[in-house]
Parts: sequence; C-alpha cells; structure tokens
Amino acid sequence: MTDMNTERQSDNQKPAQLRERDDIVLRVENLVVNFAVGKQTVQAVSNVSLDVARGETLGLVGESGCGKSTVGRAIMQLPSPTSGEVIFKGQDLTRMSGEQLRQTRTGLQMIFQDPISSLNPRRKVKDIIAEGLHIWRRPNQEARVREVMEAVGLDPDAAADRRPHQFSGGQCQRICIARSLALDPDVLICDEPVSALDVSVQAQILNLLEDMKQRYQLTMVFVAHNLAVVKNISDRVAVMYLGKLCEIGDTEAIYARPAHPYTRALLASIPDIDPDSNLPPDHLPLLQGDLPSPANPPSGCRFRTRCPHAQALCADREPVMQAVPGELTQGSLEQRSGKDHFVACHFPLV
Amino acid sequence: MRQPDNSKAGTQQGDGLAGKELLRVNNLTVRLNSTAGLVHAVEDVSFSVGEGETLGIVGESGSGKSVMARSLMSLLPKRATALRQGSIRLSGREIASLTERELQKLRGPAMAMIFQDPMTALNPVLRLSVQLSEPLQQHLGMNRQQARMRAIELLEAVGIPDAVNRIDQYPHQLSGGMRQRVVIAIALSCNPGLLIADEPTTALDVTVQKQILDLLSTLQRERRMGMLLITHDLGVVASRADNIAVMYAGRLVEIAPARTLFKFMQHPYTEALFNSIPRISDPSHTRLQAIPGRPPQLVKPAPGCAFAPRCPYAQQRCHRERPPMVKADDAGHLHACFYPVIRPVAAGVDPSALMQKRSGQ
Repeated sequence: MTDMNTERQSDNQKPAQLRERDDIVLRVENLVVNFAVGKQTVQAVSNVSLDVARGETLGLVGESGCGKSTVGRAIMQLPSPTSGEVIFKGQDLTRMSGEQLRQTRTGLQMIFQDPISSLNPRRKVKDIIAEGLHIWRRPNQEARVREVMEAVGLDPDAAADRRPHQFSGGQCQRICIARSLALDPDVLICDEPVSALDVSVQAQILNLLEDMKQRYQLTMVFVAHNLAVVKNISDRVAVMYLGKLCEIGDTEAIYARPAHPYTRALLASIPDIDPDSNLPPDHLPLLQGDLPSPANPPSGCRFRTRCPHAQALCADREPVMQAVPGELTQGSLEQRSGKDHFVACHFPLV
Repeated sequence: MRQPDNSKAGTQQGDGLAGKELLRVNNLTVRLNSTAGLVHAVEDVSFSVGEGETLGIVGESGSGKSVMARSLMSLLPKRATALRQGSIRLSGREIASLTERELQKLRGPAMAMIFQDPMTALNPVLRLSVQLSEPLQQHLGMNRQQARMRAIELLEAVGIPDAVNRIDQYPHQLSGGMRQRVVIAIALSCNPGLLIADEPTTALDVTVQKQILDLLSTLQRERRMGMLLITHDLGVVASRADNIAVMYAGRLVEIAPARTLFKFMQHPYTEALFNSIPRISDPSHTRLQAIPGRPPQLVKPAPGCAFAPRCPYAQQRCHRERPPMVKADDAGHLHACFYPVIRPVAAGVDPSALMQKRSGQ
C-alpha cells in the first residue's frame, strides 16, 4: 500500500471507483445528505461516489439505516442532497432550476417498497398510469397505457377501470412498474421493490423487471437488503455501511471474493436453503452487536467497532476507496472491464 | 411415476422421532369471522413436536400459520373466532378446552410465544424491569427484589451487554435486535417447555437475524425446549429445524424431517416455493422459476386441492377432489398430493428428462 493510497482524498482527486467511460448514464460524486434530528445533524450519506453505465443494473445493499434508500432518493432530488453532484446524461441535477429539473427528471423514475400505499386508492389504474403522460401532454396516451399494462402482465380490459384495493400486492407492484415505464425513462430506481412481497410473487416481479430492462433498455439502481435478490438482478453491487460506501464492483467478483470484512460478514449471515451447506460459513466471524448511531459515527473506518480485523490504524484514518489488490490479475474480470472491484479498507481480505 | 400411497396415514406422523412427545395437535380447524364471510384460516392441521425438537412451519402470508400459532396459545380474539375444533395436547394434557383462568397458568411456564414485531410487542411506557418481572412474580411467586435479580440474569442470558443499567430503560432506547432479545428473555423467563416463535426475525436485518436465530438455538439446546419456528423463509428453517411443515391455504401440504424434505420433496407447492427463491450460489441474472398466479383467498375455498390452479402438474382430479395426507417412503414424511413430485435420484433418471415428460402429460 503506497502513501498516496492512504492519503485522505482531496476534493479535486477523483474517487478511484468512478469509471472513465462514454456510456455512463448516471454518476453520483461525493454525495452528502444531512438530516437535522433535533439540534443534531445526522449524516445519512457521507461522500458516496458511484456510477451506472447504460443498460447496467447497480445493486445497492446494506443494513437498514445505512443510507441506501437515501442515496436512491437523493438521485431523484427527493430531497436534494446537501452537497455533491448527481450527473444524469451529462447534466448536474443538483444545480438545476425547478422547471428544468421537472423536465429532466422524466428520464428517471422510481418504484417503492410498499406497492399498495404508493398508489392513490381513489383513482382508477388507467388514470394512475396515465398521470405522467397527462402532465406532459404526451400524444396517444390511451395506447401507451395499454402498451405498458400489457408489458407488465396486466390485462388492460379487465384492470384499467379498477382501483388499487382490488389488486394483490404483487399486482400493485406491476401497476407501479407500469406507471414508472409510461414516460419511457432511461433510469429506473427501485427502492426495495420486492421486500414486501411473498417469495412466490417476488420471483414474478424480479423476472418482470429483467424483462422490462431488456424491452425498454433500462438502466437500473436496485436498492435492497436481501443479498440473494441483489445478486440475481445486478451487474454491479455497491455495499454501504453507516452512510459510507465500503465496496463496489462486479457482482460475481464481490460475491466470490468479498474484500471488505463487512461484505464478508453480510454474506456469512445469509441463511442457506440447503440444510447441508450452511455448515462452512458458520465458522466465519459472526458480526457482533448492532449498527452504531449514525449521529455519532466511529472515527476512522466506520465499521471498525464491529470488525474482527480492526487495528489502531482503522480508528485513526479513514480508508479510501482503492482497487482491490490482486484483482488485476484475474483473467475472467480482465475480459469484462479490466479491474472492476474497489474496496475502502486498510486491510482488505484478499 | 410412483403411485401415491393410498393407505390412510391420517394424522399419524413421526415414526422415529427422538425425545418424548411434547405437543400433539390433531385435526385443528379454525374459522374466523370477517366482513367478506367465514375465513377458513386453519383446516384440519395435525402435527407433533417432541421435547427439545424444532418444528419449522413455512408458508406465505395468508397461509394461516400465524392464526394457527395463536390458536395453540388460545390467543385469538373470542369474537372473531367462529369455530375452533380439534385437539391440542401439551405434555399429554388436553388444552383446547381449558378456561381462560387455567390457560393463564400455562402461558409462561408451559408455553410461551415470541411475536414478529419487537417494536410493538413491548409496552412503550413501562421500563424493561417491570415487563420482565411481571411473569416471574405472577408465575414463580418471586418478590420484587428476586424478580429484578432474575430479570438481570435473563437479559445477560440473551446477550444484552450492561444488563444492570439496561434493565431500567424503556423499549424505545433499544435497537430492534435488542428489543427482540428482550422479548425472547420475557418468553423464556418462566422456563417454558414449548416456545412458539412467530416470524421472530422477519423485522430484523440479516446480520441481526443470524444472531437471534443462533441465540434461540443455543437457549433451546440448553433448556431442551420444544420449539415451533414459524417463518415465510425456507432458508431460516433449513438448517435449524428438525422437521419442517409446509402450509398452504390453511392446510399442511407436506411435513418431513428437514433433510428429507429438501432432498425428496413430494408436494408440487414445496418444490415451487423452493425453486422460486433466488440463490446466492447461482450466477447473476439466473431466470427465477416464479409460481404463476397468487395464493387463493380463504373465504369459500374451492373443492379439490387449493394449489391446483397454480400447479404445473394438476390433473382433472385435483380440481374436484381434495388430496388426503398420505405417507411417503421416508420415515415421518407425509404429503397431500395425488401426483407427488418424482424422485429423480431414487429413480436413477435424468431430472430434466423427467420434467419434460411431466410437462407433456
């Protein structure tokens, strides 16, 4: 490890995990979101930088309270981040005026965790789906509504005139997806879209999202706490802990060779559905204790209070995101994108 | 195809179960009143749990598993319960017909329950010390001082650091995982023989989930408790339950020792549920095998097998006639299906070929 790597990141130095590519649709740089809690300020998201290329799905994982949903919402400017940039197709959303933002944001759509409460119970399904089209006075609204309804597997003749309460949770999520697709967005931000659904329905919705991604050439940010779900849908994964990004990179690389002790602990906590294969991960160090309060995060590396490998350096200095050593020589990854695996840890597990 | 064993297995389950029988439920049926009509929440459910044994009950929301659990504790509101019949024997004693007074003596020392949401299971305006001491004073006749000392020990046993100070805190001062530990401590305070854990980790993060499940396993082993572990997540019970029962639309559709169930699942619903779960071991973008349609409503259930409308193997008979619970080849393995899933391993055939053959039926 060179001195340059451990040096505190200065403002003009680009975070290592950001890629120099032409097809980056969404780039988030040094994102900070503060919330006022009484007299205190809680930094829910602290200096997060990531990017998503066209047609890619980025999975954002972490425990509840780690700021993953806040990142999703800050991209949408719901609310605007405290500082940092959100570059969507070359334009910074954080600097836009209200009207300009409204227009640009049609290219970014969002679906939420609870499909039933995110639909207006008093409106008909066709009106819910048509609302965006109506606001923007798009032509052929009726045809477009029928098209997206069919695309998500709802029968337009049977469902269009009904109201949300007449549908199950899975079908309501289909309505939400149809609504988000109506304006033909570039980026779909999914905030825990399947965690309120039963496993049998969860699989239907995950398959549907994959189909929609193909059909409408979507780029997705998929926020979830279930690591198996995230692996299934993502090309790249970003792991967050207490408002910080700890690891980001190619899905297969992160799941096969987690470099951050936190990622490894997360993977070890997943209950396995094969009764025989649960034995080996059990002797991995189990994560002790709870998430520290984000109002008063630990100094240095925020994970150090629960980390089995923490040393004095971890309390003194905050680790900077850097390419995972050794990953450069991995042939399979070389073929994909070179060296797509980054970790913020003084003592990465490689 | 292997012919289903038509000899009526009835309610007999578990030939080679270790440990003395602790709980036996026979033909439990619960119907609830609702504005939409009579809800057939639990229909003809039979199973048993031995001492020191864990029975995992798996089902999707609305499958009746929580109603069943509450019914075992007689915790369902009287006005909502239109019908409850069947027998519940705890350590050989029939408890379905007990009065509320008699039941109160059992809840705590004989059986206890952990609820899903630790945020609402505790009283927000009482200190932990009060909530932990109450059962100790009620059931074990301790005085306040004794109960307080015991309560501190209990908090330490469930892994709460600094229990001496924590005990005077209120629930809102604790994290979700800590609160669930307190709920477990209260449930264990009177050394129950049977612990019913209804989705004990669903509201918690994966890392905390593993801590809580490990804690439950350890405490159970130490105290030789029987446990009913109710969950919608097959992963939670796979490596922790001795036996697993799968529930669908208020009925048990399959019950077997855990390993047997995963290796030789017989009911198409069990198979479909198992296949629809995304695996961490599968590569990204693996197409999931979703179950088409959705679970049935439980008002006016249709005749025949409740899973038939979603079942890829369903035949005419499945829509007309309800399959009874029958014995499968392995000890303690029962299922309710006319056309059970074929065993590729036992038959020595290529599973994919079999699947094709089936879908061509």
